[in-house]
Amino acid sequence: MKKENIWESVLAQIKLDISEASFNTWFKHTNISTLKNKRAVISVPNTFVRDWLQSKYNKTILKALRSLNKDIKEVQYTVNPSIQQVETPNKKRKREEENNLNQMEFQNLIIDSETGLNPKYTFENFVIGPFNELAQAAGYAVSENPGSLYNPLFIYSKTGLGKTHLLQAIGNKARKRQKKKKVYYTQAQKFISEIISSIRNNRMEDFKRRYKDVDILIIDDIQFLSGKEKTQEEFFHTFNDLYEKNKQIILSSDRPPKSISALADRLKSRFEGGMIADIDYPDTETRAAIFKSKAQEKDFFIPDDVCYYIAENIQRNIRELEGVLNKLIIQQKITKLPIDLKNIKSILKDINQTSMYSLSFNKILKTISNFYDISEKDLLGSSRKKEIVKARQIIIYFLRKELNYSYPYIGKKIGGRDHTTVIYSFSKIEKDIKRNEDIKEEVSYIKETLASA
Amino acid sequence: MKITIDQNKFNEGLSIVGRASSKSITLPILKNILLKTENNFLNLSSTDLEIGIKWWNLVKVNKEGELTVPYHSLSSFISFLPSKKINLNKKGNNLLLECEEYKTQINGISAEEFPIIPQIKEKEKVLIESKILCDSLLQLIDIPSLTKVKPEISGIFFLFNKEELKIVATDSYRLAEKKIILKKDNKSSFSFIIPQRTARELVNILKEVKQDIEVIFGENQILFRIKMSDFNHPYIELTSKVIEGSYPDYESIIPGKYNTQIILNKDELLNKIKAASVFVGKINETHLTISPKKGEMVIKSEDADLGNYNTKIKGRADGEEVNISFNYRFLIDGLSNIKSSEVILEFVNENSPGVIKPVGKSDFVYVVMPIKK
Repeated sequence: MKKENIWESVLAQIKLDISEASFNTWFKHTNISTLKNKRAVISVPNTFVRDWLQSKYNKTILKALRSLNKDIKEVQYTVNPSIQQVETPNKKRKREEENNLNQMEFQNLIIDSETGLNPKYTFENFVIGPFNELAQAAGYAVSENPGSLYNPLFIYSKTGLGKTHLLQAIGNKARKRQKKKKVYYTQAQKFISEIISSIRNNRMEDFKRRYKDVDILIIDDIQFLSGKEKTQEEFFHTFNDLYEKNKQIILSSDRPPKSISALADRLKSRFEGGMIADIDYPDTETRAAIFKSKAQEKDFFIPDDVCYYIAENIQRNIRELEGVLNKLIIQQKITKLPIDLKNIKSILKDINQTSMYSLSFNKILKTISNFYDISEKDLLGSSRKKEIVKARQIIIYFLRKELNYSYPYIGKKIGGRDHTTVIYSFSKIEKDIKRNEDIKEEVSYIKETLASA
Repeated sequence: MKITIDQNKFNEGLSIVGRASSKSITLPILKNILLKTENNFLNLSSTDLEIGIKWWNLVKVNKEGELTVPYHSLSSFISFLPSKKINLNKKGNNLLLECEEYKTQINGISAEEFPIIPQIKEKEKVLIESKILCDSLLQLIDIPSLTKVKPEISGIFFLFNKEELKIVATDSYRLAEKKIILKKDNKSSFSFIIPQRTARELVNILKEVKQDIEVIFGENQILFRIKMSDFNHPYIELTSKVIEGSYPDYESIIPGKYNTQIILNKDELLNKIKAASVFVGKINETHLTISPKKGEMVIKSEDADLGNYNTKIKGRADGEEVNISFNYRFLIDGLSNIKSSEVILEFVNENSPGVIKPVGKSDFVYVVMPIKK
């Protein structure tokens, strides 16, 4: 007879002899944890139950056990608090706080301190569409067979399209399947600051040890390693170490490995050695489906035509959809107006106005100077160095394209250049974007940065 | 059992142990309290199987014995008696009481049926001044909430280091940390989480006592013990389960630096935020604008139906201008637990936690998350 069955049958016997109240108090949530060497170990929810069973029911329990299994000579009790029920949440207070969906929470409290994962990101609430099918399928496969299929798995997409969700879902799923697997999720920025503080405090050994025995290493936003040579070197060793041991590595970035500037070639080639999957912009239908599923998560009903209208009008990214949803819910709470097409139009107008980003000459100059790591002075100066000229041409392209400045005015703004130079530069970049993948990536990245700043 | 005890003393003991007696009907014995002689002491105990409270008093013992009686009948009856001597006499499972012309019998249940309050296997022991512990707990006892899936943060975290005790509470929207300097250096550092209710009962007990309190930590359990002032004998003991699991890494939540700081008069600020609360509507949102250049903070709130509110408060400020919104209730909870007359507010930016702390002392810090813009 299995030990679980033995215990069930013991409980059934005891139930006959004592009152229901006593049974529920003392025997509910008890289990048999081990049964060997003539000794049965019973796990109980708390010390009260342990002491009570020991002093009052020990004989009864032993007798019942022995009637089923003659070998048992001794009973022990061990406290296992996790089998006790969790107290029921206080509903009233919960509602009060949820009144404001924009109330922020301490993220660190929700995150599992061991794995760094946020349990709310799962495959179940990840909406799949043609735009992310490949990445999702690859991720799911990896979560089922970590280390053996696609290693490393490299996922890239523009911000706010679900990279982090997918990465964390892989970690959560793998962990659910095999509790023993050590999963570690971190963001590249955090990884970098860990390395810096380890170097400063002479604790590099601790750092290495921490990463050596993980089974699945997930690093988000790996593009931040760009230009950090020492970190790249450390990461390279960690990577090789894990890779040789067939440990799964999952990375994400906002662009493909080859477009990450100032990244060592040996890292680039390693990132490209496994599977690279991208997540594109979702189409309107998928955006509507995502919006609906997000609303459902929050127990909020939104009619289909409204979902579709929002999906048509909010095109940039999914994070923005979430923002609109939160705004809608609050609006609805305050105004009590029904959510229909008419009301939604006026709300969206508001939102669109506030989210229009304001660009300026200085912002473009600063962003591009940061991106190429060339000082503003050099950009506006007279140097004819190849890199500087290229960056200058891209500034011209943005001033024309985004701010609609006239050619002569652009010339004046960027260090008194002739308007024909400006025209040449603009059309050169415009052509390059069509022909050259690298330039295209760079321009679209700068655009992103400008929009999010 | 045959003993004589002062009505005053008996009443005091009953009111202390009564807090742990259960009102639940599932196990009727838990509504009873246990009376038991131990040498020259009378011991009262009660428990609801999560916490247990014991109380001792020196009495005249004529005959040893033990019995349980319903707490409610016993305590309400004793409170009506004059402050004279009471004779208690056990007869079968009943308790006979005699005090002057009162003669009463209360029907009880055999002490055999009463749960055993678990003995603790002592691992660590620390002595703390009761009043300080009581006041410190009161500063953050209301913060935890049971709404969260994570049971660890539904309790109050105690972290003993070599020289100090840190007490921490959070509900994932705000967090408070209180530091207490220990009287004697501690040998090792250790930590545990107690349920919020245990903390409440502890505060109720501590309000009444002057002696120091011993905190004894054992496996799955915690014991708070107060000794008698004139004997080396326990006076009150509170035993409780501790919450299993490890407390999240809360220290990373407390911002290490700030971009904006303002020092304000606490009472004025509290009053102006309470006034703002009239106009917050259902979402409890209060806007703060700190302008270091003008040395002031503007407080605003508005509701489409009710109207709007706008006021200023002068203070000493430095750093960048910041515009940030909070749930007014969270601000009030933090401010009203600050003891100093002036208060420091610190911010990083409009989407990062704000810090509220007293001026002149660094033993308390309250961190609160804003409402997203």
